[in-house]
Amino acid sequence: MASEDEVSLLVVVVDVNPIWWGQQAQREPEFTLSKCLDSVMVMGNSHLVMNRTNKLAIIASHCQESHFLYPSKHWKAGDAAGDDAVSSSRDGKYEVLAVTNDQISEEVRNLMARTEVKGHQTDTLLAGSLAKALCSGQEMKSRILVIKAAEDCALQYMNFMNVIFAAQKNSIVIDACVLATDSGLLQQACDITGGLYLKIPQKSALAQYLLWVFLPDANQRSQLVLPPPVHVDYRAACFCHRNLIEIGYVCSVCLSIFCNFSPICTTCETAFKIPLPQMVKPKKKKLKPAT
Amino acid sequence: MAASSEEVLLVVKKVRQKKQDGTLYLMAERIAWGPEGKDRFTVSHLYADIRCQKISPDGKAKIQLQLVLHTGESTTFHFANENSALRDRDAAKDLLQQLLPKFKKKANKELEEKNRMLQEDPVLFQLYKDLVVSQVISAEEFWANRLSMNSVNHSTSNNKQEVGISAAFLADIRPQTDGCNGLRYNLTSDIIESIFRTYPAVKQKYAENVPHNLTEKEFWTRFFQSHYFHRDRISTGLQDLFSECAKQDEKGLKSMVGQGVKNPLVDLQSLEDKALDEVNLAGTDTIPLYKTRVFGYGTAATPSTSNSNRTVKENSNSAIIKRFNHHSAMVLAAGLRKQDPLNDQASETSSTDGNSRDSDLFQPPIKKVKLQEAIEYEDLQQEDGLKTVSLNLKKSDRYSHGPVPIQTQHYTTSQDIINSVILVQHEMANYKPCLTQVMSSTMASSAIVALSPGGVLMQAGTQQAINRGYLSLSLHPKMVPSEVQSELKHLYTAAGELLRHFWSCFPVNTPFLEEKVVKMRSNLERFQLTKLHPFQEKVQRQYFSTNLTGHLEEMLQTAYNKFHAWQTRRMMRKT
Repeated sequence: MASEDEVSLLVVVVDVNPIWWGQQAQREPEFTLSKCLDSVMVMGNSHLVMNRTNKLAIIASHCQESHFLYPSKHWKAGDAAGDDAVSSSRDGKYEVLAVTNDQISEEVRNLMARTEVKGHQTDTLLAGSLAKALCSGQEMKSRILVIKAAEDCALQYMNFMNVIFAAQKNSIVIDACVLATDSGLLQQACDITGGLYLKIPQKSALAQYLLWVFLPDANQRSQLVLPPPVHVDYRAACFCHRNLIEIGYVCSVCLSIFCNFSPICTTCETAFKIPLPQMVKPKKKKLKPAT
Repeated sequence: MAASSEEVLLVVKKVRQKKQDGTLYLMAERIAWGPEGKDRFTVSHLYADIRCQKISPDGKAKIQLQLVLHTGESTTFHFANENSALRDRDAAKDLLQQLLPKFKKKANKELEEKNRMLQEDPVLFQLYKDLVVSQVISAEEFWANRLSMNSVNHSTSNNKQEVGISAAFLADIRPQTDGCNGLRYNLTSDIIESIFRTYPAVKQKYAENVPHNLTEKEFWTRFFQSHYFHRDRISTGLQDLFSECAKQDEKGLKSMVGQGVKNPLVDLQSLEDKALDEVNLAGTDTIPLYKTRVFGYGTAATPSTSNSNRTVKENSNSAIIKRFNHHSAMVLAAGLRKQDPLNDQASETSSTDGNSRDSDLFQPPIKKVKLQEAIEYEDLQQEDGLKTVSLNLKKSDRYSHGPVPIQTQHYTTSQDIINSVILVQHEMANYKPCLTQVMSSTMASSAIVALSPGGVLMQAGTQQAINRGYLSLSLHPKMVPSEVQSELKHLYTAAGELLRHFWSCFPVNTPFLEEKVVKMRSNLERFQLTKLHPFQEKVQRQYFSTNLTGHLEEMLQTAYNKFHAWQTRRMMRKT
């Protein structure tokens, strides 16, 4: 067992993109956002129960903001609607868990209620949520679990990579549980920080996957038989065509990647000299002075 | 006889070797002995071949000198001159002592180098064992490339830091009581080296006396017993081995004080330490440092207040202080001696001359530097400013997505978006966690099946890895033990080395490369036969049927194919 004093923080970043979840509700009515949040709550409770010193944080990653569902700033004891408060504490649950669950559900209701529809903001702000998660786990041993629903947003690439390297520097492990499409960025994140990446085949069994694979922390994983690491495709895409290439040309000034050589970099307009093979100059014959 | 260009350093007559009389000659690069009356040398050894020399102990009747070579053989010379045998032998020994170290290093260096490399790099050592010891390739081939690579590295590693001397090294030799009124001193070679580096006088005494007059043990016993080592060094005039050392130390201290401090901004004269009852006869005039008595810096004692006025206690106190100062100065000097031979010469002109401070024209350069440092601040100076080229990005939006391929975006109409959002909001408005019905048991058990070994999620990794030959993924710790893994790694290293030699021969331009290619091919075959096949058989017999060596065999086969192609082309060219 870990020492009694060690505080271990689990930050769960849940992708609550309302557009994706709305579409998901139409595709598969048996697995909706509520079920997903229930599963996350089960895992959060389990984590808190594993060890007295364990801590939990849950961040909802929305299109408009990244919001801490737990711990919440606004929750005050006794503020919740009368019936709910009574019912949640009536079943004799460990008080901490009851409070946690109440806070989470309250915050998520408020978050969804204040969603505004905006056409151009349809991507999940995952990089921002990860950054918040990193900041919250500064003073203690922490790890991040990302539950991803919607697709990757390529525009967040730079921020994402910075977050990944920051996590690696601070020895914070990033795990990923992907519900739908594979995410190259998260695969890289897990590979670099030493976490687990898993794309689950059945969304309805999310709770089981979370408890089996993602509940044990990094120290215990070496003793368990867990899904093996995925082969990560680290190939970069060229800046000109955005094709994946294995061998390319990199501008030494702006570091942009190209698939073909061109004498001028199109990004920073630096000119490059091509080293030509040595030309043998024909020797000039000395002109004999005409006599 | 000796070559005409050889310089003869010492000739000793009446030296017997193997019961024959003869003469011993010491030349510039070798030592030789010829029997009496004959013209040629029967015994000749280069200094480079001699590992060490030994002499017979003093008490023995026969005075001998033995030379031990690197190969292990030894030659003994018996000095038989009735009068001067001992002197002769000692003269020969001293000369050899001076000459041998010069030649020693050259011969051994290569071997030492090789040994060092093998010891430092366990992978290299393993490779050596696998290839050379099992005679797959010869030792010269193995070392052919490596020595040149590493000689560059070695030269840079020579600039290691020298270990300094602890100032407390003498105090650290704490004597233990012997039980019966005696003291045991434990001397390690480190302490001895510190003593020699700090007090070269003692080193000289040691070289003079050991091993002729005294054994090492006796020398050190005398050292510790002598008043030189004792706290209160009152020169009693006893015929002590070390009384000369004491005098030398005093001389050394005087000269050090005479040199003074090289930093012109430090004025030691201003530090005065006067006892209340001492009359300051000199007033406030500064006294040139070399006239001050050596009882402490800056005291105002003039030559007239001599020993007679001081009490015995003052004398011993000042003696201790003097010894402390001397000891510290010697420790510092020993540390700086090797590092600063150049610096000393540069600054010598400045401060040894006691009158230099008076002449304004002769400003010591060090003083200038110190003054400059004190006046100027680097960051307040004008910025020189390196001319930098600013980055001029025309298409900076490329960085927003970075080197990420375009992904197919699902097109969603705005109506879709609105509908989805409303649906979710509706759903979550009445959200209440229902944790007892998160999933059904069938779902849970199917998930568990997928996660168990052999399940859907667990298989992809191992098969993929085996196919690509990735060791770390395919060799699940429970399936293949670590010895097999490490043996496989060694095989890979050895095969890699051989293949590197093989492939570097192409294109085959010279006859040397042709020979090498043929040799390497036979080496590869031998490697495959002696190492690879037995390993594969062992693995198949004992563990499982997976093919661990498939990739290795593939690499070897490619090499064989290349060789075959090259050979047929050569045949066709010849015919």
